[in-house]
Amino acid sequence: MIVAARIFFVGGLTSFRALFYWLTPWIYIPTMLIAPIFQILLFAYIGRSAHLRSDEFYVIGNALQYSSIPCLFAMAQSIGGERFQDTLSAILVSPAARIPLFFGRSLPVVLNGALVSAFSLAVGSLILGVHLPASSFAPLALVVLIAAFSCTGLGLINAALSLRIRENAVLSNVIFGFLLIFTGANVPLDDLPSWMSTAAQGLPFTHAIAAARKLANGAGLGDVGGLVGAELLVGAIYGVAGFLLLRWFETISRRHASLERS
Amino acid sequence: MAAIEAAELRRTYKTHTGTFRRRAKEIEAVRGISFAVEPGELFGLLGPNGAGKTTTIKMLITLLIPTGGSARVLGLDVVHQAREVRKRIGYVFGGERGVYERLSGYDNLRYFAELYGVPAREQKRRIEELLELVGLKGREQERAEGYSRGMKQRLHVARGLLHDPEVLFLDEPTIGLDPVGAREVRATIASLTEAGKTVLLTTHYMFEADALCDRIAVISKGSIVAEGTPLDLKRGVAQGSVVEVEVFGIADEALERVRALGGVVAVAIEEREQAQVLVVQTEPDVELTQAILSHLNGSDVGRISRREPTLEDAYVALVSE
Ligand SMILES: Nc1ncnc2c1ncn2[C@@H]1O[C@H](COP(=O)(O)OP(=O)(O)OP(=O)(O)O)[C@@H](O)[C@H]1O
Ligand SMILES: [Mg+2]
Repeated sequence: MIVAARIFFVGGLTSFRALFYWLTPWIYIPTMLIAPIFQILLFAYIGRSAHLRSDEFYVIGNALQYSSIPCLFAMAQSIGGERFQDTLSAILVSPAARIPLFFGRSLPVVLNGALVSAFSLAVGSLILGVHLPASSFAPLALVVLIAAFSCTGLGLINAALSLRIRENAVLSNVIFGFLLIFTGANVPLDDLPSWMSTAAQGLPFTHAIAAARKLANGAGLGDVGGLVGAELLVGAIYGVAGFLLLRWFETISRRHASLERS
Repeated sequence: MAAIEAAELRRTYKTHTGTFRRRAKEIEAVRGISFAVEPGELFGLLGPNGAGKTTTIKMLITLLIPTGGSARVLGLDVVHQAREVRKRIGYVFGGERGVYERLSGYDNLRYFAELYGVPAREQKRRIEELLELVGLKGREQERAEGYSRGMKQRLHVARGLLHDPEVLFLDEPTIGLDPVGAREVRATIASLTEAGKTVLLTTHYMFEADALCDRIAVISKGSIVAEGTPLDLKRGVAQGSVVEVEVFGIADEALERVRALGGVVAVAIEEREQAQVLVVQTEPDVELTQAILSHLNGSDVGRISRREPTLEDAYVALVSE
């Protein structure tokens, strides 16, 4: 039990340091802190000039959705990166239980994703003069965290695929595009074709964005319980599916020698 | 009970060539090998590039599933009891890759100590001990990217020992090390068996195998072609002797003519500084020096010598059959 907990927390954090060495402030600040602000401003000004939605609508939608960048890319890197350092076989030959081993790697990713969202939410609001009630700060922080969790679940599937395909960054970009359009970040779900808004129910962010908008308009956490629960469920399903996929690839790699460096 | 036991172990790889018209190809990397390593023994697996040594080790350490036969480590099946096997074995591969470059040597070890479930309060002492053993003491707080090749390799050795495994698999642990570094690693390996560990080692260096191994299996093209103590293997060719001729540029036809001489067991060319050395193993009681020289006319010939066979000669004779 203690061993598993240590693999989850200490191991997860150590591997994050080991695999994200290239993430210097010169890369981190532009991609994680500045780019989401650009995205928020772009959509907010389009919204203003076309007389669509309020600035608040875009600030919340984009601030949350942008955490898909760290969550998708970093989660894939946190497992796929082992391949590039040739450390994967050393990991797989260890007796470490796989649940804490793989999920431990997602913990720093979730925290980082939430940080990116929270930062862009705060800075985006300041720049555009969006007023969020002080009473919504704590529940909003929780929703931001859950949104990052949910997207990291999807990231775990991405991570499993990174063991099989090398074009993982391409895949992450495609998923990012999907999330931008489908989740209601910029277009209200009601205005999307119905198949799209149906698909959105199974994607990360959809429920979190809806919940965050309600919180910003004065709703309490109790009023958005259903949405928060749905977001958690979506993330958990992806997370479990991603884990099973990882295990499956690990198993077939022993049969087909498919995890060799290629 | 043997510490390591392979029975008719077999492994084929399927590969594909071509992007559009994909053709499947099967490579028989290991073709049904059997051997047993006793507890406390240091067993060497020798063989040329591509002979199947690494493939064999990967099956024994649970990274690859055999396509045929079976293997047990400490009585545990490597396919069905993989996790139990993993807890009890250590795995060290040569080369400088496979460490977390941006973590310090200490943190590299600490991470794997976590994965192997070394209790938190023992980790520090254990890591210190190993740093001492492999001679990395004092450099452990530096990032591994700044380590020399030999230091990274010694870090691998330390990593393989973290959980004090009973059985160790060392795949070319001294590859690319300078003579002093290699000697240090060899001393470490020798000390392992003194501590009662069972070791399976692969190497391309015959003197290393000769010095370290209790027993050796020579593997060639996926099959074991000889097995025994280093002395047994040497005796296999010990009746003959070896003629070495230094040449400066030798034609392939000349080499073929020497190979065709009656009484020649094996012929090999070794590169040494500016010259090449033609190494000819002969049957006992034949004197071929003159005959060999007569086939080398046209080549510049240097020093000529006759000597007793070494393990390397035995090896060359075995794998060139
Ligand atoms: N993942 C793989 N896919 C396809 N073929 C492979 C794979 N790994 C090894 N082989 C092939 O299997 C054979 C045995 O390789 P192996 O690595 O076991 O040899 P080795 O004895 O360790 O050689 P070396 O001394 O060069 O390390 C070789 O022909 C090699 O090309
Ligand atoms: Mg090898």
